[in-house]
Amino acid sequence: MKKIFTLRQPLVSMKKIFSLPFILFLFLQISCNPVFQSQNIQYKNYRIQKSYKPDSTLVAVMKPYADSVNNSMNEVIGIAKEELEKKQPSSTLGNFMTDAMLIMAKEKYGINVDAAFINYGGVRLTQLTAGPITKGKIFELMPFDNMMVIQKVTGDILQQFLDLIADRGGWPIAGITMEIKDKRAVNILIGGKPLNNSDIYFIANSDYIANGGDNADMLRPIPQQSNGYLIRDAILDYIKKLKSEGKNISANEEKRIADAQ
Amino acid sequence: MLNRRKFLQQSVFAAGAVSVNHSFLGEIEEMSSITKLTILHTNDTHSRIDPFPMDGGKNQGLGGVAQRARLIDQIRKEEKNVLLLDAGDIFQGTPYFNLYKGEPEIKAMTSMNYDATTIGNHDFDAGLENLANQLTRHATFPMLVANYDFAKTPMEYKYEPYRTFKKGKLKIGVFGVGIELKALVPDNLFGVTQYLNPVQKANEIANKLKKDQNCDLVICLSHLGYQYKDNKVSDEILAKESENIDLVIGGHTHTFLDAPVVFKNKKGQDVIVNQVGFAGIILGRLDFEFSKISKKKLANSVAITVTKKTGE
Repeated sequence: MKKIFTLRQPLVSMKKIFSLPFILFLFLQISCNPVFQSQNIQYKNYRIQKSYKPDSTLVAVMKPYADSVNNSMNEVIGIAKEELEKKQPSSTLGNFMTDAMLIMAKEKYGINVDAAFINYGGVRLTQLTAGPITKGKIFELMPFDNMMVIQKVTGDILQQFLDLIADRGGWPIAGITMEIKDKRAVNILIGGKPLNNSDIYFIANSDYIANGGDNADMLRPIPQQSNGYLIRDAILDYIKKLKSEGKNISANEEKRIADAQ
Repeated sequence: MLNRRKFLQQSVFAAGAVSVNHSFLGEIEEMSSITKLTILHTNDTHSRIDPFPMDGGKNQGLGGVAQRARLIDQIRKEEKNVLLLDAGDIFQGTPYFNLYKGEPEIKAMTSMNYDATTIGNHDFDAGLENLANQLTRHATFPMLVANYDFAKTPMEYKYEPYRTFKKGKLKIGVFGVGIELKALVPDNLFGVTQYLNPVQKANEIANKLKKDQNCDLVICLSHLGYQYKDNKVSDEILAKESENIDLVIGGHTHTFLDAPVVFKNKKGQDVIVNQVGFAGIILGRLDFEFSKISKKKLANSVAITVTKKTGE
């Protein structure tokens, strides 16, 4: 029998070109609109290292921006005594950021805020490393120009909001301790007292969350008190405040949210 | 067996074809050769212009646009057919964005000769007017998205659903899909932008690219996210419910895939999905080797193999 040639044979000898089946095969191919197909794919992940030689053109293009960023952002504003980590359901970095909100809300709004929150996705660094903390580092931790807003909510609404936080596996929180059971918030203590559905609470959030972001729909209709103060500024001011009191940034290990046993 | 007369007829016919068409041998050459295509890709670069600082953090010393640019340059010197793609969230994450609203990020991508990107949720962060301005002033590459309707927004004339690229003998179709904006992007930032079903739009565009435009490869730049615990639409769901998509370059979930993942689409054909973390820590590379086959043969779906590139 005649051999059927396939195109995967890369070398075509003259003898084969003039062999009848190959000629027939070619006409068949042309009449059938041959198309390109790829069956073998190779992959490679390049880990971009600082040790790679930089492209000089791009360094030049970036230089004016880099100079200005370094100028305004390299100022050391505080020291982290130890590493703070972002984790669920509760973490040292989350505790630090929401403590900053709780304390600065009292100063900037003159209200005794009961609780402060940040959505987990809003924390943009996975860790705050030990050592000098620059202004730029806090911009990376909280890059969004989100304002800190205050809302007056009933215990019932707060329970719904805490259930959302529980469903999401726990967000940074200050002023509250709770447990997650079947994706719901249980054993909730506010200022050490159990949550009461009919009581009124003052809570601090980003305008993003208060406007219903990250599915916080229950907060959307609640009026907001806002003076334009940014969450990032609350963190920067809190670090300055600690420094003025002779304190460094430290890891508060309190497990404010825990998975119920 | 052929009889002698028929054999002679066909030999004459064949000889005639050779002598009449001088490019015939060239055609044989072309048909038997392999065409290579190299896809380079990033996602969620998040304003990471400089490498992560040497502060003891787990990503210290990684990333950096100038380092990435040089590597891309080297690969371009070695490979003829290169496509450089991004899957969105160019903006937000370092003070560069707070100070310059995306100007250095877009300039860096233009300098690296990106071929296309799609839009991520954080690319809305300084408003659509800012995004439109940055693209107009500094981008030479298109922002592709098929499932957002930007009519009556500043982005109205600054995006395209898809684009086709000619690389050697290959025609490649690239389109983009974006994530649901509600509850993710603040209402005031996306305004009257309409979010359309990404799977439906993807299939519509991919069909057009494969069937009407005869693309050899159809690539989806996706900012949907790799995978979710619930049934929220993701790259996995898109790949499984798709037709005519060959490759999904994903983003949003900052997923570091060790290797590209292959899913079966609606017709049982293979779809490759890849994502390379965030911050420009990894540059992804996929090398495709194309050979010509008949359309008949193509109809029988063949499993693809994805292997790790070695020897470098």
